[in-house]
Amino acid sequence: MSRLAIRGARLLDGAGDHGVADVLLEDGTIAAMGEGAAAGAETLIDAGGALLTPAFLDLHAHLREPGQEVKEDLASGLAAAAAGGFGTVVSMANTSPTVDEPGIVADLVQKAERLSKARLRPAAALSHGLRGETLTDYAALQEAGAVMITDDGIPVANGRLMRSACEYAADLGLVVQTHSEDPSLRADGVMNEGEVSQELGLPGNPDAAEAAMVFRDCEIARLTGARVHIAHVTSKRSLQVVEHFKALGAPVTCEVTPHHLTLTDAALRSFDPVFKVAPPLRTEADVAYLRDALRRGVVDSIGTDHAPHTRAEKERDLMSAPFGLPNIEVAFPLLYTRLVETGELELPALLALLQDGPARVMGWTVPRLEVGAPADLVLLDLETERAVDPQRFRSKARFSPWAGERLRGWPTLTVVGGVVAHRLEERVATS
Amino acid sequence: MATVQIDLPEPTRERKRNLLDFADWSEAEVAALFDTADVMAQVLTRTIKKVPALQGFTVGTLFFEDSTRTRLSFERAARAQSADVISFAAGGSSLSKGESLKDTLRTIDQMQADVYVVRHPAAGVPYQLARWTDASIVNAGDGRRAHPTQALLDAFTFRNRFPGFDGFAGKRLVIVGDVVHSRVARSDVELWRLLGGEVVLCGPAPLLPPEVAPGVRHSHRLADAVEGAHAVMALRLQRERMTSGLLPSVAEYVARYQVTEEVLRMAHEDALVMHPGPMNRDVEIAGNVADGPRSVIEAQVASGVPIRMAVLYTLLVGKR
Repeated sequence: MSRLAIRGARLLDGAGDHGVADVLLEDGTIAAMGEGAAAGAETLIDAGGALLTPAFLDLHAHLREPGQEVKEDLASGLAAAAAGGFGTVVSMANTSPTVDEPGIVADLVQKAERLSKARLRPAAALSHGLRGETLTDYAALQEAGAVMITDDGIPVANGRLMRSACEYAADLGLVVQTHSEDPSLRADGVMNEGEVSQELGLPGNPDAAEAAMVFRDCEIARLTGARVHIAHVTSKRSLQVVEHFKALGAPVTCEVTPHHLTLTDAALRSFDPVFKVAPPLRTEADVAYLRDALRRGVVDSIGTDHAPHTRAEKERDLMSAPFGLPNIEVAFPLLYTRLVETGELELPALLALLQDGPARVMGWTVPRLEVGAPADLVLLDLETERAVDPQRFRSKARFSPWAGERLRGWPTLTVVGGVVAHRLEERVATS
Repeated sequence: MATVQIDLPEPTRERKRNLLDFADWSEAEVAALFDTADVMAQVLTRTIKKVPALQGFTVGTLFFEDSTRTRLSFERAARAQSADVISFAAGGSSLSKGESLKDTLRTIDQMQADVYVVRHPAAGVPYQLARWTDASIVNAGDGRRAHPTQALLDAFTFRNRFPGFDGFAGKRLVIVGDVVHSRVARSDVELWRLLGGEVVLCGPAPLLPPEVAPGVRHSHRLADAVEGAHAVMALRLQRERMTSGLLPSVAEYVARYQVTEEVLRMAHEDALVMHPGPMNRDVEIAGNVADGPRSVIEAQVASGVPIRMAVLYTLLVGKR
């Protein structure tokens, strides 16, 4: 394997700021660090003082394979992840067919390995076909490579089934991730229920639908001892429920998404279905509470919930357009620009939500810049402002709520297992 | 074609491009539109019910949801002004073949219509279409959101029929029934407030919107709501509200919310009774009230064509 060196980068990880140094990568691991470490490298990359940090972990992305390759596939999705600075992605199971058989998990893992982009760690379905009726074979799915159990996309309406799932998962040490929204309370809501839904005449989905099921799922975590990871917490009420259970010592962790941290239900005034996500975009007060929770360390991870769809699907009407938006390529620059540059959040706190936080949720080794550690790294340019250009997305979903926005913090290089998985190509200006 | 001399008002300097809702309309613009509708109503009383006002313009009707009455009303309004009409009844057929709304519109836009009259079961579609075409858009009903021409003809009817009408200020409209699912109610509230009137919404809690807009009062008791009202409008009650668990029974609704002669005694002595149709006689409105002396339900229906003529005229004249 080639010896790749990164010269002159500022090194930062969850253990602290290690100053400017060179890093040599060999055989998929960090082989040497410090002055002169780059000597003997076959490929040399000059970092020019940019920030080198462990590649991000995304515990929540929809890569759409198998069966929905028109929206995304492993090649485009994992390339998009690498472009966003992610070295590891947990893919969701709501595909066609759903990821509910060990053979499907094994196929995904094998296929992803050949791509040399971000690492794939598939989640498996909690129930067959995500129908919420019968349990899948968690032991066999785990054996095949599944790291998480979830019916994400479809809330598990049946509390008894969720309890059984948690009991099995606890025994196997698997994390159960939940899409917590009470389906009957959510009803046909396509956006947050409140002043704006009333104004727009769109069916609303009350925050009570989310908080009620977050409460149930936290109770089941407490009851069973399973590690329950509440996906995409969007509202003040839901987060307060999680805080309540954390204070009790229940084995509960939670995630927020980049869009719920930066957009509100007011965006629906455009009637643009790109803003239709589940759970829905909430109010300014909710966003403020989520952001404050990041500062207080209540949130464990930022997961993208990258949910690509075709342009045509998102050009339908708001009732029939699917839920979800693509964001994995802009997640870090968006949050860096909106939260860190504005002074709302310290950079190490944001990085922790993308590195140590998700690693701890999963029970994985926290990523560190040290000799012998996996060479999964990202180089971040915190200086250069670049506009979000969906036409240049690696994702097949070439649209974005943030199109045209000028952001800083773009990943210029992502290395996974010592191999370059992404390098930012600057647009060459033509005269 | 016989040319009939009519005296139509000059278009306002700021020509309106769309009628999506009333967010960007002023009281004066609505008043001018009503004046235009008066002239149109006159035209429709003549032997030859046609004027050349919109000759050379093309009106496209895009109905993604069935509504024969509204579509015919718009088509009559277009033809009575000598506009050409093209009709597109989608019913979701082309969309189900994988075409996006934008693709559908772009195909239809090759017909070069000057205005599209759009009805769609999802809120917001007329707004989406307005982004994708240079033609004007008239919202003929989108989901639960808005049905502005119905609201215009309701207010126009009130203006013409309330005894000694001297403006909307201080006039109270009571809307009774399934407000939360009603685009008509939403537009009525918006327009009535724009014109300076007061609105009371009355119905069982699951059928009223959760948020109360300024100038709008909620009531769950019909007798209280109707007290002193100048207009009482009953909304159609859909059977599915019972089967979906929002209401206990039709009988319960009738007992508490049917607009009856007895209830009307609480209202202003000249109060008008309205219904946007189609009616469930003896459910939301007592049959004898619907046919009674205070009912202007037929006048509402009769206002449909002149109001839609005025809308098309206002949006199109001055174009090009």
